[in-house]
Amino acid sequence: MKSWLIQHRYALFVTLRRFAAQPFSSFTNIAVIALALSLPLIGASLLVSVQPVVRQISVTPELTLFLKTQAPGDAANLIANRIRKEHSELSASVRVVTKDNALTELRNNPAWEQALRVLPGNPLPDAVVVTLSEGPGLAARADALATRWGKWENVDLVQLDSAWVQRLEAILRFARIGLFLLAASVALVVLATVFNTVRMQALSQREEIAVARLVGATESFVRRPFLYLGALTCIFSTLLAILIARCVMIPLNNALASLAHSYNAEFSLGLLPAGQLILAVIAVAVLGALSARWSVNRNTRF
Amino acid sequence: MIEFLHVFKSYGQDRNILADISFQVTAGEFIFVAGPSGAGKSTLLKLIGGLEAPSRGSIQVNGQRLDQISARAKPYLRRAVGVILQDTHLLFDRSAIDNVLLPLSIMGLSPTTARSRARAALEKVGLSEKELSNPITLSGGEQQRLAIARAIVNRPAILIADEPTANLDPDTARRIMSVFRDFNRVGVTTLIASHDQNLMADYASRAFHISAGRFTDSHPKRAQS
Repeated sequence: MKSWLIQHRYALFVTLRRFAAQPFSSFTNIAVIALALSLPLIGASLLVSVQPVVRQISVTPELTLFLKTQAPGDAANLIANRIRKEHSELSASVRVVTKDNALTELRNNPAWEQALRVLPGNPLPDAVVVTLSEGPGLAARADALATRWGKWENVDLVQLDSAWVQRLEAILRFARIGLFLLAASVALVVLATVFNTVRMQALSQREEIAVARLVGATESFVRRPFLYLGALTCIFSTLLAILIARCVMIPLNNALASLAHSYNAEFSLGLLPAGQLILAVIAVAVLGALSARWSVNRNTRF
Repeated sequence: MIEFLHVFKSYGQDRNILADISFQVTAGEFIFVAGPSGAGKSTLLKLIGGLEAPSRGSIQVNGQRLDQISARAKPYLRRAVGVILQDTHLLFDRSAIDNVLLPLSIMGLSPTTARSRARAALEKVGLSEKELSNPITLSGGEQQRLAIARAIVNRPAILIADEPTANLDPDTARRIMSVFRDFNRVGVTTLIASHDQNLMADYASRAFHISAGRFTDSHPKRAQS
């Protein structure tokens, strides 16, 4: 066991010596991989930052049923009771907004006050506002309910407030798939860069490898420093990519803060949680080591 | 210790580099392999070191049949055979002691033990003063001695050297040969390929003469057909 540890320490030392022997070339490789990695990292951070906002919006989708103006006075209450009875599991709350209450609310709004004063009567219909309960396929469920309720007697129009949420969810789904494809492409870039780096190193260390074999080195011993090279290159690259992403988010957050402020809201982008970042570092390091192993197996057959 | 039985070696369709070679070497012998350039001396040594595989025949080294040994076990056999090739194959990107440390690092020795053994090996070949020098700054004879130190540092049972005194002046050549003799005296089986007849007369306990891939006059006291 001790001998195994000593050999790993030796491999790590050899790898660091090779890094130090070609500092510019090593840094260039790390920078190229880091830049490629920073793209999906920033994308993932954007998605993760947007997700809570979307979730917050989509938990309170509302359907508003506007009744016909000539509907009887108790029609709104009857419809509200019917919804409570037939769709109790789908509706979180059902509330009736009478035409008089709606008019009073509007009159309290200075923007509408002048316009409403010139109208002879109350042009507003009675309405039933239904807040849907949260659950899977909310947007599709809201669509189905809107279609069904729109056919009920005395209902003039059903306004579906969740339509735009559905669109936003579709955009996010598209972004997630795009991000996955981008991550896969970046993984290929990492594979290719590490493969080529290790190939160049193996060629330049040809003499050392031959001598090591001559004096009894096993293939694991020959391979080990290259695996460390691949893994360490990827670890340094991922750490640099995280730093780049963090730096990119400073101007983005400044711009977003003014935009959010204009909507009287607060919103900022943040990096992925620490646990996920550590997982990303480990995953990329494993990818680098695998690529290095593939490269060293192909390029040290002499 | 070493046994060749009807060994042939050829590359592709070329003529045999070695043809029907059979001999035995017992532990502790000092053997010279003599012959002109291109006779097959280097190939013979490479076969013993497991650096080449025979085309036909069987080779046994240190109790192991080389044709039956797995690729995974081959490195462990090489640790039992110290090899000094005509080109010393020293690494010029590190110091003399770091060159000697390489076989010990491969064996997984602790840095302290490895360093003390490397220093002892350098001392045996008279290079204590040069342990931090880059091999490129050493003379031909010193480079040869450094290669010997690297070959013996992990205490191999067999030492093979291909033309270790080539291109060296007579005094340096004798100094190198004394180093080999010292190792042989402590029980290391030694085989040296050389065309220098004078050295052979002074040091060898036995000599194999080889020409065009065949033993011509092997003085094989214990050679088997």
